[in-house]
Amino acid sequence: MSIRFILCFNKQGVVRLIRWYVGNESSGDTQDVIAQIYRLISSKDHKRHSNFVEFSETTKLVYKRYAGLYFVMGVDLRDDDPIYLSHIHLFVEVLDSFFGNVCELDIVFNFYKAYMVMDEMFLGGEIQEVSKDVLIERLGTLDRLE
Amino acid sequence: MAASSLRSFIKDVRAAKTLADERSIVTKQSAKVRTKLRDDHLPHSKRRTNIQKLLYLYILGEKTHFGQVECINLIASDQFVDKRLGYLATNLLLDEQQDLLTLLTNMLNNDLTHLNKYIVSLALMTLGSLSSNELARDLYPDVEAIMQSSKDPFLLKKALQVVAKLICKDASLLEIFPLGFLTTNILSSGLLPTHGVWLGVCKVLTAILSNITSEVPEPTINEIVQQLKVLTPQLLSKLSSLNTKNLEPAFDVQGVQDPFLQCELISTLKWIFKISTELDAKDVLSFTDKFSDLLTQLATNTDTHKNPGQAVLYEITRTIFDLNMSQPLRILGINILGNFLKTGKGVKLNNNIKYVALNTLIDVVKREPDAVQRHRTFISSCLYDPDISIKFRSLELTFAILNEDNLLELVKEIICFLEKIANPNFDRLSPYVDIDDSKDLIVYSVDHLIEKFDLYPESKESEKLRNLFKILGVVGGIINLDTINEFLITINNITKWADKIGILFEMLQATISNDRANIGSQLVSIWCIGEYADILLKFESNDKVINEISMANYLLKLDSGSRISNNCLLIHYVMTAALKLSSKISEPAAVERLRQIIKSHSKDPNLSIQTKSIQYELIFNQPNNVKRLMLTAMPKFNRNRVVNNDEQTQLRKLQHQQENAKSNTTADLLLDLLSEPAPTKNKNKAPAQHVVLPENSTLINESNQLEVYSFPVSIVEGNAHFELYFKNKGPEVTNLQSLCAVPKTQKLILGQIHPSHNDIGINQFVKQSLKISGSGNLKLRVKLSYTSRDGGPMTEQFDHKFNHSI
Repeated sequence: MSIRFILCFNKQGVVRLIRWYVGNESSGDTQDVIAQIYRLISSKDHKRHSNFVEFSETTKLVYKRYAGLYFVMGVDLRDDDPIYLSHIHLFVEVLDSFFGNVCELDIVFNFYKAYMVMDEMFLGGEIQEVSKDVLIERLGTLDRLE
Repeated sequence: MAASSLRSFIKDVRAAKTLADERSIVTKQSAKVRTKLRDDHLPHSKRRTNIQKLLYLYILGEKTHFGQVECINLIASDQFVDKRLGYLATNLLLDEQQDLLTLLTNMLNNDLTHLNKYIVSLALMTLGSLSSNELARDLYPDVEAIMQSSKDPFLLKKALQVVAKLICKDASLLEIFPLGFLTTNILSSGLLPTHGVWLGVCKVLTAILSNITSEVPEPTINEIVQQLKVLTPQLLSKLSSLNTKNLEPAFDVQGVQDPFLQCELISTLKWIFKISTELDAKDVLSFTDKFSDLLTQLATNTDTHKNPGQAVLYEITRTIFDLNMSQPLRILGINILGNFLKTGKGVKLNNNIKYVALNTLIDVVKREPDAVQRHRTFISSCLYDPDISIKFRSLELTFAILNEDNLLELVKEIICFLEKIANPNFDRLSPYVDIDDSKDLIVYSVDHLIEKFDLYPESKESEKLRNLFKILGVVGGIINLDTINEFLITINNITKWADKIGILFEMLQATISNDRANIGSQLVSIWCIGEYADILLKFESNDKVINEISMANYLLKLDSGSRISNNCLLIHYVMTAALKLSSKISEPAAVERLRQIIKSHSKDPNLSIQTKSIQYELIFNQPNNVKRLMLTAMPKFNRNRVVNNDEQTQLRKLQHQQENAKSNTTADLLLDLLSEPAPTKNKNKAPAQHVVLPENSTLINESNQLEVYSFPVSIVEGNAHFELYFKNKGPEVTNLQSLCAVPKTQKLILGQIHPSHNDIGINQFVKQSLKISGSGNLKLRVKLSYTSRDGGPMTEQFDHKFNHSI
């Protein structure tokens, strides 16, 4: 099981966070890949369609929209899809507690902090910590280490 | 202030009014960052700000390669803040292929042994996401040392995760990893391992097990098996302890205790049993019963209504089928998946779980067909799901479970489904189904239905024929005309004459008097007239619709109709039918009409029609007894089906290809599909049909290369549906992209270019659908870009005002 990339963009397709864990194997330009993902996902009705999309020979997308932001994970084709929705949800919950009612602007201006949250939760594309309390406490400590 | 400079940059980008403004701000900053970073005397705080800006540029998708070395340099700094940013930037900007990684070796080496645990943790995080074979070999001892000595659960869990990554990079490391340390120290130390540490242990085990090959030396394998004997009960008891009703708030995810760890443990156990089976490790396999019991227990106790529980249940079913566990468990697995398809009262519509359940059922239906049968009703109900990917999958599954026993019921079900999606208003009723998608669904259904029709026993042949005509009536205008051959063969091979003729008679009666019959029905009627006219004329009926003259007239009418629409296939059918009919009737007026049909094509511009006309005329003039011998009815026809192993995945491939085509990727997948070893089925799926310009379309723009026509499909209050047709006048065009804009009061849904935006030959048409909703006059601005074989990349733009408003 592993996450190939985590991507977060808004309804207009402007990227807010992007993290590749596996080198972008499709030889195409990264920006093209992102644009393609955006087109695939934004055209879906998120209430009535499933949150999984087969994307390439190796990757499927698991995504969820929170307010104006889409959180997308590119995961291995053989993986258990539903658990990644829980991954995304936990990530968003932690962002929410960490920033205190998170909004898109928090992530735009403090992207490096958002990456810090991501890196405490995932390591090399694998989930490393699942307890929200542990994460929040740890992030609090790290945040003070300025 | 350093930070505010980043803030103001982000603000400026956000405040940019136009794309051009934004570009100029970004380019300016990019150049500035580049110069700044080159300055060796730049103070640290400024350097940080510039690296932060560089990261923002990276998020925006700008080029950042020039800063890569600077990021690595920042790691070398003594300050924690510098290191932190340096590591983040390195992680984001570099990937595993780059030579620059070797620069990291020393720094990582230093930091992994650093006294500050936060720095060690940063180094671990980086090594976990960026490592090459060399890095893995060089730095593995440091990571192992952290794992062995650290008392900090944070470092321990990270070290374990990194070990797992390194083993995946260099599998020989699994021979030196001290597996015993996990059992003796980590899992049975006085301190209870945290969930994070458990996750790490699972990852290490999975990494080791999935990298075992025949090259691993015997003693290592024995050692691993010995350790697994101790580890397996530990994992089982942890998993069992998570399956409890007393939730710890820290790990409660919507009523399920740590679904992440549960999934991870199940999947790790799956690997343990898989490898143990391969190695025939009896000591470990003796736990199989315990594992089965535990899975059954989990399956009964886990809440199936919310996503976390579903994820655990789904992992259980995957394990059952991957390990091919005992039959009761397999049935349990099918029932779990079957339950996912239910959308009873109070159960929230959940397409995610339906999607994965259908996917898995399709894979396992061959192994437990009977158990899947039991969930037939729910599978069929998924046909009406609004999500197209669920429709496709449930259709595929429906055909997979269709057999002699449920044939009648399922065929009825599928015809009912076809009636619904073939309804021309369907795409308006359910706005998320594309007209092309429903066409693919129809084509797929009909192809498979016809194949399944062979299952009908002889006693049910009349029902088979009736269903055949029913399908034809519903979708005859939509299916590929190649499929008509399959219909004809099926009709031809029905041997029970008494029933057959009655049904044919009714069908013909209906089509002859119906001016709006679809093309499929027309072709079949024409063929039946040619084949069976003599028997039909003998059929006792009160109705006088079918007689020699009416049949000849019918052919004549279709013939003259097809001259206008230039439908060659229909002309071929009509001519053959006319020839055959002429040998079966005696009324001179009718025969004369038939002769006229054939003769009238003797100067046809289409060579094959012309040839046929002349040859047929020769036969036509033969004496009747000679003619009859030549034109007897078709014998029973044996189909030679190419068995396509890939059948199962074809539909998904097709759909996948479509989803990709929709996002305008290159047509690689399309080519793949076409270049597959061509089994007969494929020809129906390749989107090679020619687009023909409808009659009342209007030319809205013309350039040297392209003519653009518009065709109004429907215009109602608030909604308009157009099709744009592009005709290529010049040399071959590839990569045609069309972008359209409508006034602000309207919304536009632009379809994909059909059949392909590539390889548009001379005088070929392609089309694209436009759905406009909103109000106001209909106006359009169209921008076209394409590559012409001679002229290279081109763009065109024009405006068009329609005479309609919505």
